[in-house]
Amino acid sequence: MSKRIVVADDEAHILHVVSMKLTNAGYDVQTAEDGEEALEHCQADPPDMLITDYQMPYMSGVELCKALRQSESTKDIPAMMLTARGFDVEPAEMIEAGISAVLAKPFSPREVLGKVVELVGEAQEATVGA
Amino acid sequence: MTTAKRLGLTTIALVLMGASAAYYATTMAMKGHGVLSSSLNYLVLALIAALTILMLLVFWRSMHRAMAEVSRQIGDMARTGEVGMVMVRGNNELNEVTVPLNKLLTNTQEELDTLRSEKRELQIQSRIASAEKHHTEAIIFSISDAVIVTNRFDELVLANEAAEELLGFKLNTSLRKNIDRIFSDGSLVRLIRETRNHSRSSRRKIVEHSIDKNGDSKTFTVTLSCVTASNDEVSGVVAVLHDITREKEIARTKTDFVSNVSHELKTPLASIKAYIEMLIDGEAEDEQTKRDFYEIISGETDRLHRLIENILNISRIESGVVKVVREPVSLTSVVKRVLNVAAPQAKLKDLELEERLAPVFYQVEADQDMIYQAAMNLVSNAIKYTPNGGKIIVEVSVDEKRGVAVCSVADSGAGIPEADLPHIFEKFYRVNANKKLAKGTGLGLTLVKHIVESVHNGELSVTSEEGQGSTFSFELPVLS
Repeated sequence: MSKRIVVADDEAHILHVVSMKLTNAGYDVQTAEDGEEALEHCQADPPDMLITDYQMPYMSGVELCKALRQSESTKDIPAMMLTARGFDVEPAEMIEAGISAVLAKPFSPREVLGKVVELVGEAQEATVGA
Repeated sequence: MTTAKRLGLTTIALVLMGASAAYYATTMAMKGHGVLSSSLNYLVLALIAALTILMLLVFWRSMHRAMAEVSRQIGDMARTGEVGMVMVRGNNELNEVTVPLNKLLTNTQEELDTLRSEKRELQIQSRIASAEKHHTEAIIFSISDAVIVTNRFDELVLANEAAEELLGFKLNTSLRKNIDRIFSDGSLVRLIRETRNHSRSSRRKIVEHSIDKNGDSKTFTVTLSCVTASNDEVSGVVAVLHDITREKEIARTKTDFVSNVSHELKTPLASIKAYIEMLIDGEAEDEQTKRDFYEIISGETDRLHRLIENILNISRIESGVVKVVREPVSLTSVVKRVLNVAAPQAKLKDLELEERLAPVFYQVEADQDMIYQAAMNLVSNAIKYTPNGGKIIVEVSVDEKRGVAVCSVADSGAGIPEADLPHIFEKFYRVNANKKLAKGTGLGLTLVKHIVESVHNGELSVTSEEGQGSTFSFELPVLS
C-alpha cells in the first residue's frame, strides 16, 4: 500500500500542483483547504506525512502542527511547511510545532518531492515498524 | 586739648580759688583783726564766690542747651533716616564736635545715595531677570514635548504641563522634592540620576523609553542633557520626552505592508513557477492537462499584474502623487459603462443584473477613470460573491435635498459576518468565510475607499447580512 500524505493550502492551484506531483510519484494524497479540515483528516486517519501552508484561514499551519502534537495518534506525523512568509517564521516556533522542513514559496515541486522522499521514503516503501 | 577739657579745668580752678579765698577770709576773721575790715573782706570774697557759681551755672546751662539741640537733630536723623547737617546757633565752642560730625554725616549721606542708586539698579535688573525667567518658562511650558529639569540633588525644579500630564504629578516650585518621590516610573528616575553621575563621559544622551499610561504603552525618545554651572560642575539635568508612538506605528504598518505585499506577490508567483516546472518535467501527460496548466499560468500572471496595479494605485493615492483629473461627470454614464463590461460575467453565473439609473444630466465633479474603477470593483465583487442565479441591483440616485449622487450595488450573495465588517476596507483583509468563493487580493475595497473618500471627499458605506447579501454605496456631491 502506498504512503498517504495530507496536503493543506488555501490556494487551490498550489494544492493542485503539489498533489499532482506527489500522486504522479505514487503517493496517496488527501487535500484540505484550511487547517481545520487538515486536522480532521489527520485525526480520522493519521497519514504518513503532512504538507501544510503557513497562512490559512481559521487555523494556521503552525497551529495545525501544534494541535497534532497534542494527540497520541498524530503526535509523530512528520510535517513540512510551504510558506510565502519566509521572514516571519520563527525557528523556535517551528521546532515547538515539530516541523521538520520549511520550503519557501515560490517553491519547486521537484524539491517538495525530494523532501518527502527524504522524510518518509519512497511511495511504495514499507514504513519502518509498520 | 578739647574745649570741654579746658572748660572743665577752668571750672575746677575757679572752684578751688573761691574755696581757698573763703577759707582764708574765715581764718583771718577768727584770728581777731578789725571787724570792719574783716567783715568787708568776707563780703568781697563771698561776692566773688557767688559770682563765680552764677557764671558757672550760666555756662553749664548754655552748654546743656547746645548738647540737647545736637542730640535732638541726630535723634531726628535716626528717626526719619534723612541724613543732614548738625547746626548749633551761636555756640562756637561745639564747632569742634559738630564740624567732624558734619563731615562724617556728609560722607554717610554720599554713601547712602550711592547705595540707594545701586539698590534701584538692582531692582530693575531683578525685574528684568524675573521677566526673562517668566519668558523662558513660558517657552518651556509651550513645548508639546514633556520637559523636566532637576538640580544636582535630583530635586525637581521645573516641569511643563506636558510632563505633569504624562507623568501624573503637579509641580510645586516652593517645595522641592526628590524625583523618586514624584515619579512612580523608576526607570526614568534612574536615567536622570545616571546622566548626572556619568556627566564626565557624556553630557547628552538619547534613549528610547516606554511609559504605560491608562493601559496604553507609549514610546518616547528621552533626550537627557547635563546643565553645567560656570565652574564646569553639573548643576542639573534636563530631560525632554518626545512621543514617537505614532512614528513607531507607521513604521510597523509599513513593515506589515511590505510583508503582506511580498506574501501576496509570492502566492501567484509560486503557482506560475510550480506549473512551469511541472510542464518542463513532463508531469502533464495529455494535451488537455497541458492546456489547463497554460491557462493557470496565464491566469496567475494576470492576478500578479492586477495586484501590482492595485498596490501602485493605493500607494499613489496614499502618497498624494496620483494625478487626479476632476471634471463634470455623469455618474449614470460611468455606471452604464461598468455594467456593459460586467454584464457578460454576470451572464456566465446566470445572475440577474438590474439597473436603476437616475437621468444622465446629473453631474458630479470627479475623476472619470477613478470613479469607473471604484464602481467596477463594487460590481465585480457583487458578481464574485453572489452564487449562481442570484440578483444584483445597481442603482444611481440623486438626493436633491442633500445635493448628493449615490451609487449603490446590492447583491443577494454570501454577506459579510459582523465581526469582519469593520475590517473589510483594510489592506489585504479578506473575509475568511468567503475566501473559497472567489479569488481576491484584499485590495479592491481599500482602493474603492481611497478613491471615494481620499480623492473625492465622498463617503463609502456598507450594510450586510450573512447569507442575505451586502449593499455597498458611495455618494458624491452633485454639481448644481
